[in-house]
Amino acid sequence: MYKVADLVAEHGEPLGLELVAGKEGLKRKILVPEVHRPGLGLANFTKSHAVKRLLIFGKVEIEYLRDLTSEERFYRLKPLLSPKTPAIVVARRYRPPKELVTLCEENHLPLFRGSMTTMKLLKKLTGHLSEAFAPSVSCHGSLLEVFGMGVLIQGASGVGKSEAALGLIERGHRLISDDIVKIKRGEGNVLEGRGVELTRHHMEIRGIGIINVANLYGIVCVREKINLDIVVKLEVWDDTHFYDRVGLEDKTIDILDSKLPFHLLPVKPGRDVVLLLETIALNHRLKQMGYHSAKEFSNKLLKTIARKKDGKKR
Amino acid sequence: MGKKDNQVLEKKLRVKNACGLHTRPATMIVQCLQKWQAEVAVSYKKKSVDAKSILNLLLLAVPKNGEITVTAKGVDAEQVLLELSNLFADYFGEKK
Repeated sequence: MYKVADLVAEHGEPLGLELVAGKEGLKRKILVPEVHRPGLGLANFTKSHAVKRLLIFGKVEIEYLRDLTSEERFYRLKPLLSPKTPAIVVARRYRPPKELVTLCEENHLPLFRGSMTTMKLLKKLTGHLSEAFAPSVSCHGSLLEVFGMGVLIQGASGVGKSEAALGLIERGHRLISDDIVKIKRGEGNVLEGRGVELTRHHMEIRGIGIINVANLYGIVCVREKINLDIVVKLEVWDDTHFYDRVGLEDKTIDILDSKLPFHLLPVKPGRDVVLLLETIALNHRLKQMGYHSAKEFSNKLLKTIARKKDGKKR
Repeated sequence: MGKKDNQVLEKKLRVKNACGLHTRPATMIVQCLQKWQAEVAVSYKKKSVDAKSILNLLLLAVPKNGEITVTAKGVDAEQVLLELSNLFADYFGEKK
C-alpha cells in the first residue's frame, strides 16, 4: 500500500515538500492516484466531496481563507478533512492559516508546504501518483536494449537467456535486468521494464557464478529502465514444430493488457542466438519505419505471378 | 532395406488457386514436407528446385493454372505425393 511517507521519501525533495503539521499521519495510506483543489468545498459546498484525494491549496484557496474570520475558517475547513484524506499540500510556500495547522495537528493529517506553483504541483503529484498506482507485473526473463529497442528475452530455465544476454552486452548492447524484470504500464499503454534494486545489473552464469555487469563491462553497458518493444521466447529446437519461416504474420503477446510483437526463436548448436536477436531488433525497427521485408517481398512475388498470367514473357 | 528405399515417384500437379503459388501456399508445402524424409523437387518450365525451401519455391512464381512436376525420392515418397496432391486439390485452403 502506498503511504504518504513513501511519496515524501521518493519525491519530497524535488517537490520541495516541507512538513508543517500532522507528523503522526505520515503513515496514512493514499487510496487513489488523484489530487484535488478544494475550491468549492471551502465555499461550503461539500456535496460529493472526494474525501480520498490528496488536497492542494493554491493561491485562490489561501486568499479566500484569508478573507474569512477565524471562526469561519474552522467551520469551512473541518468538513474537508476526512480520516481518509491522505495529506494536504499548500503550494507556492504559502504560510498555511493557523486554523488549518491546528486542525491537521489534531487530526494527525500531514500538512506540507510545497515550493512549486499550484498547477505545476498538481501536474507533478498526479504524475507521481499515477506512476505509483500503475498496474505492474514481475516476470522471468532478461531485458536488454538492442539497437535502441527494448527486447525482453524469455524462455525456460537453462535455455540460454543469460548467455544470450551476455553475448549482446559484449557486442555493445545494454542490460537492464537479468532474471527478474518488473514491468509497469504507464500512460498511453507504454510498458516500462526495469530490474529489481537488489539484483539490478547482476547476472548469474552457470559455471561462473554471479557477476556484476556494470563493473565488468562498464557503466555504458547498463541502463536503469526501458520501454518494451519486442518479446522473444527462446526454445530448444523442436523438430516437429513448424517455426515461422516467412514472417508475414505478426504475432503478439499480451502483457498487462497491452499487445507486444512476439517471436518464438528456436535454439540449437550452430545458431548464433546473439546475431538472431540483433536481426529481430533491426527488422522490427525497419517495420516501425514503415518497411515490412516479408510483405514487400510477397507483393513483389504476386506482381511477378500476375505478369505471367497475362501471357507476357518476364 | 527394401527396394522402396530409393524409389523415385513423379506426379504432375496443377496450381488452381487465384493468386498462383504465392507465399502462403509455399509455406504450406514446406510445412507439409517437413515431417517426411523424402527428397522432394518441384519443377516448372525447366526450372527445378528443392521443395523444402520456401524461397526456392517462390522463385518459380507459378501462376494460376500453371502445371508443376513433383519428384519425390525416398521411402515415404508415396505418402508425400498423396499429401501434396490433397493440398493442391484443396486450393491450399483458399476459396475456390
